[in-house]
Amino acid sequence: MSRRGPRGAEDRLRRLLVMLPWLMERGEVPVAEAAAHFGLSEHEVARDLELAAMCGLPPFVDEMIDVFIDDGMIWVGVPRLFTRPLRLNSVEAWELLAAGRAAMQLPGADPDGPLGRGLAKLAAALGEDDTGGVRVDLERPDVADRLATAIDAAERLRIAYWSASRDEVGERTIVPRQLFTDRGEWYVSADDDRSGEVRTFRLDRIESVEGTGEVGVAGAGPLPTPGEWFTDADIPRVTVRLAPSARWIVERYPSDEVGEPDVDGWVEARLPVASRRWFVRTMLRLGPGAQIVEPDDLADEVRAVARDVLGRYRS
Amino acid sequence: MADRVERLTNLLALLLETSTPLSLTQIADELVGQYPDKPNARRGAFERDKAALRDIGVPIEQEIVTGTEHAGQTRYWIDRERYELQGLALDPDETRALQVAMAATRPGSASGQEAMWKIGGGVLDSGAAVAAVVPDAAALPALREAVAGGRSVRFGYRDVDRHVDPWGVLLRSGFWYLVGFDHGRGARRTYRIDRIVGDVVAGEPVTVARPADFDPLDAVPDDPKLIGAEGDVTEATVLIDERRSAAVVRELGDDRVVERRTDGSVVVRVPCANLDAFRSWVLGFVDLAEVLGPPDVRADVVAWLEAIG
Repeated sequence: MSRRGPRGAEDRLRRLLVMLPWLMERGEVPVAEAAAHFGLSEHEVARDLELAAMCGLPPFVDEMIDVFIDDGMIWVGVPRLFTRPLRLNSVEAWELLAAGRAAMQLPGADPDGPLGRGLAKLAAALGEDDTGGVRVDLERPDVADRLATAIDAAERLRIAYWSASRDEVGERTIVPRQLFTDRGEWYVSADDDRSGEVRTFRLDRIESVEGTGEVGVAGAGPLPTPGEWFTDADIPRVTVRLAPSARWIVERYPSDEVGEPDVDGWVEARLPVASRRWFVRTMLRLGPGAQIVEPDDLADEVRAVARDVLGRYRS
Repeated sequence: MADRVERLTNLLALLLETSTPLSLTQIADELVGQYPDKPNARRGAFERDKAALRDIGVPIEQEIVTGTEHAGQTRYWIDRERYELQGLALDPDETRALQVAMAATRPGSASGQEAMWKIGGGVLDSGAAVAAVVPDAAALPALREAVAGGRSVRFGYRDVDRHVDPWGVLLRSGFWYLVGFDHGRGARRTYRIDRIVGDVVAGEPVTVARPADFDPLDAVPDDPKLIGAEGDVTEATVLIDERRSAAVVRELGDDRVVERRTDGSVVVRVPCANLDAFRSWVLGFVDLAEVLGPPDVRADVVAWLEAIG
């Protein structure tokens, strides 16, 4: 974890209060190990522990925090004063519980394994019962487990994939590297043999998966960060006005900016349009709840497609 | 003057170890030379320290002395039982598993990292090979506590102040939902937690307890086309073009196929209790899907398209 700028007193104390009990439990720890564990530089660890060694109880003679550094090692003498970490606050308790419950829904999670047992202890300590006060449903499709297995084995797979931007099903071979779910959809990022690059595929558009029997060599191409939308400055933009009923589009998809609601609750938003086909389809779904401010050619295209679909109903 | 971290650490140690509550004068006398001598400056420095400790979660107790020559004086201490993390007793492999879980679901969370250090875990790795993006909403920690503690809550939602006995929270389709008994409506209700406005205030014990067999998993429909459905679910028949038929059958299941046509297209039964969600689903196929019936649903889609074109 990188850190910029000087650390404030609260931040340093907060870290000290988790570091001291951790060190006291171990007795002796290399400075480098403590630094890596707490995301600090060795210099920061040394400085904060040297400061801690000057702290203790009045009259500040012998009831001191018994810690010193020698030859790259941290030594703790008599554990005293800060032998236990501070309790979890409500946000931290939530973070642990939510993370554990969500991870239990990922492929390969075992309720009887270490995560299941740890989560049960955590839930008991937080006063949770097991009747489901906090539930996570990741709506995991079967193919997710197949892909997770392939990632583990660096397996090369042959998939049939429906491309939304081209509206066609094509076959490709991929070496899956990362599987994730975000906003109700599942994705796999993989080395794609056709393009020679990392591509991200939506699982519900994978029509079939079969093994090739080959082991792939995972490429070095950077993977997308789940939860962060990759929007490119070169992608054209559209400005739309959205009724409250259509506002979900800016919760689901990336937007450059969303204005303040007017008296009727409509907002103006600017969106990247990576695929015109996607955009037109989305505008049909939003219907009268969305108005395209600009560009005009996109507005014309949406109207033309709406008339095409109407043609089906009138023929 | 001592380093601020040194003074804060000493103050914390003193308040944790003291056998009797201490006044500011007593604290300053014990921490010789660490607080300013002038009363106003001393009080100011101490208040800042107290706020800093509370900010990082230290529970500082205080009482006001009555009936002695020190009446009116405030005294401070820390209850070790309330300060320390206790009763978790995780084995090392359990801590590691929780660390992997946190890295896979909340990798960028500062509070999650802080929690991990408290339970003995280390720095969260990024780039988990299998991950879920678990969204945030400010109200979640308070709601979880209220659910676990059986406390009713009050919050603002869609311009109405709600009074709810909370039964559970559920993450589904990228959103956190709260399910509970809404006292204003006198019925069970579901809320999108990210749409709660302002603070959640927990209050009196719940009066309408969670039913014994209640599970938020069943209370929030996983198909948006079913939200709002009561009793008999209304269904529409939809013709899906050959190019999307395999994917649709995979999504809906074989038992929803009414007819398989020779050109590869299929006719399927689709719930349409929530007409907005249904229309949105159908129009996602653009010209590769057509609503065949019932007539009022087909007419609704036609009217919708006419409003665009």
